[in-house]
Amino acid sequence: MVQRTDIAWCPGCGNFPIRDVLEKAFQELPIPMKNIVLTSGIGQAAKMPQYLEVNYFNGLHGRSLPLAAGIKLARPDLTVIAYSGDGCNYGEGGNHFIHTMRKRLDITILTSNNQVYGLTKGQSSPTTDFAVKTALSPRGNQNIPLNPLTLAITMGAPFVARGFAGERDHLTELIKEAILFKGTALVDILQPCVTFNKINTYQWYKERVFKLEKPLTDRYEALKMADLWGDKIPLGVICRNDEAPCREGKALLRAEITEDDIAAQLNMRCVMMR
Amino acid sequence: MEFSVVVGGEAGQGAFSVELELTEILSELNYYFFATKNYMSRIRGGHNYHMIRIADVPVHALSGRKWDMVVALDDETEVRHKPNLHEKGIYLSRELTDKIQKESRETFKDVTSSNTIMVGVILAVIGVSLEKAVEAAESGNGEYLKKGFEIADRWKLTGTYPIEPKAGDHCKFDGNQALAFGALLGGCQFMAGYPMTPATSIMHYFATVAQEIPVHFEQAEDEISAINMALGASYAGVRSMVATSGGGFALMQEGVSLAGMTETPIVITVAQRPGPATGLPTRTEQGELNFVIHAGHGEFPRIIFAPGSIDETITLARMSFELADRYQIPVFLLTDQYFADSVQIVADVVETEIRKRNYTVFDNTYKRYRLTEDGISPLTFPGLSDALVKLDSDEHNEEGKITEDLNLRVRMVEKRLKKFELLQIDFVPPTLYGNKNASSIVLCWGSNKLIVKEVIEKLTQEGINAAALHFGQVYPLTAHMVAPYRLAGTKLICVENNAQGQFAGLLKRELGLDVAHHVLKYNGECFTVEELFQTLKNILR
Repeated sequence: MVQRTDIAWCPGCGNFPIRDVLEKAFQELPIPMKNIVLTSGIGQAAKMPQYLEVNYFNGLHGRSLPLAAGIKLARPDLTVIAYSGDGCNYGEGGNHFIHTMRKRLDITILTSNNQVYGLTKGQSSPTTDFAVKTALSPRGNQNIPLNPLTLAITMGAPFVARGFAGERDHLTELIKEAILFKGTALVDILQPCVTFNKINTYQWYKERVFKLEKPLTDRYEALKMADLWGDKIPLGVICRNDEAPCREGKALLRAEITEDDIAAQLNMRCVMMR
Repeated sequence: MEFSVVVGGEAGQGAFSVELELTEILSELNYYFFATKNYMSRIRGGHNYHMIRIADVPVHALSGRKWDMVVALDDETEVRHKPNLHEKGIYLSRELTDKIQKESRETFKDVTSSNTIMVGVILAVIGVSLEKAVEAAESGNGEYLKKGFEIADRWKLTGTYPIEPKAGDHCKFDGNQALAFGALLGGCQFMAGYPMTPATSIMHYFATVAQEIPVHFEQAEDEISAINMALGASYAGVRSMVATSGGGFALMQEGVSLAGMTETPIVITVAQRPGPATGLPTRTEQGELNFVIHAGHGEFPRIIFAPGSIDETITLARMSFELADRYQIPVFLLTDQYFADSVQIVADVVETEIRKRNYTVFDNTYKRYRLTEDGISPLTFPGLSDALVKLDSDEHNEEGKITEDLNLRVRMVEKRLKKFELLQIDFVPPTLYGNKNASSIVLCWGSNKLIVKEVIEKLTQEGINAAALHFGQVYPLTAHMVAPYRLAGTKLICVENNAQGQFAGLLKRELGLDVAHHVLKYNGECFTVEELFQTLKNILR
């Protein structure tokens, strides 16, 4: 069991309830713990796997998604979850985020989205709202925020959801559903940063969030819903497409190359120079 | 006897098809040959040329002597290559190749068959019988070859440079094929990559074989993703590789460092081309030695191989995966465009035994970074047992959890660096050509191996007392590697395809050796035997 005192998060951090939710979800899922692998990048959220009893590869900033893709491609038998923050998944790893959707792998992407850089102490993140003052934007953020949900839907992600650290039971079910979903699933999790984000607080969210009764299956309806932000913020499965084909990786482990395989390669023609 | 031909033309005109088809048939007929190419970074137009040297003895380099035959598919060939045609050599001028194309169109209603016709002409020149040529060619090409032989007869070229096919059983590889083949023998089953000349054909090879054998190739959105995917696959238990050139490798560097910190085995191929930046995308250089030695932030061990022959490439590529596993480090295969794109035959029997991997299992007390005497912790993979496998790019404790315990930091640094001690005695020794007591020793690495070897043979024939030492492992360089040779009191000459003498610098830094003469070439082309022979003769005389 992880000692809370060993955890590098601030007291009251929105990541604590998410950690508890993940622990509960893993216990409740019909998947042996030894088959669950978490990948993460760098940042406060990316420390998440350290505080759970799971297999993990805590890699570099922005790179949790290629790690997850590599693991899933090599080992389809593993349940692969990429966990990181908004800076990691949408900023440094933004290109990977876009292209991971195109890969159509059965992986789950979870983002602690607190709209601020916590570990580097209060700079704008890709999801910081326009004009919000941050450490390196003293006159206010001049960039408009990236909307991970509309981006993911546009890129063809078949499962796009939003959860909230302040709605634990709802979040637990959402994460379980995302993991069990066959295909690339994104859950963007609203996670209050009690130290550096004095705007998007628990209270601020509580006044705005509402839960969708059921998943939207029409992509264009989903885009409209995902676009909502400000007065009304939807929670739940915003887009779900069970028809989207999911790519199956090859089981490579212990499926070794044979000498016959090799012998067949010996007469291969030269390929064009590249 | 030997015969060297150059076929020049615009990209897309068919010069490459001629090389491809000719080398295929030569191999089928058991000829010794060596073929390489010089091409531009474009899809159509420009001027590319393909050089094929055919002999009755093994050849593994360009002779650099005057051409015995020049085939011009464009006007540029006349300007560039005709001046280097032997006075008695054969010149298929633009007019003549146009005639061949015209005849091809008229007879076969097809202009592409003119490539095969030209192959027929060349085969007739070296005295191959039409019957044998047809037998060796792809079915359906017989008529075209026959036309080539007819033309050769008509132009009185038949048998003007007779060469005997003296090679026995052999395999034919280009450098990249050999590397990919060696990787498969090493048990590599996963490759991710982003296309970049001259490494792309390795990816092509993997993508092709992946259709039939348990191998996966993934085209990544960029090189950063490629190396991270490969590390993910390696963590998951599958031997993995990436391949790129200098510019792509620049993007991969953080992944090299990640492999170093997390002790994740990976093999990284860097097929060099001239830099900086985009440089000369399709030409050759050995300019990334220092870059690869120093790539990745932080301090961690690595091995760098620079094979110089087909069999050495297969052996070292295979071995790379073993070593990456054994020491849990990144292992590099440093090649270059010249080697990647050169087609050669390897007369030795190619070993096809595949290295099997052991999958050790542990219980839930498993610690990925257990501190051991030699610095190597037991390696296992997720999902095989109750052992949880935890990797962290932060400094970590034995379990793999983030730590800022500075005493532990020291122990972990020492754990990782301890592997260097093991690498002092586990190394690939350099290869000696000539007499080890020679008064002068030519040092080289990577693709210059067999060029230097032939030059040493020529020098010896002329009574010049010189030997060569080729380093297939360029890092780490250890005292044990050179212990059998008396290098300290010997005149050392270092031959490299770069402008700064990077390997000579490394020899000085690591082994304290002083190189008396640098022979450097950095115009984007390889050395030829004749060129290097003259240069070394001047130095040694």
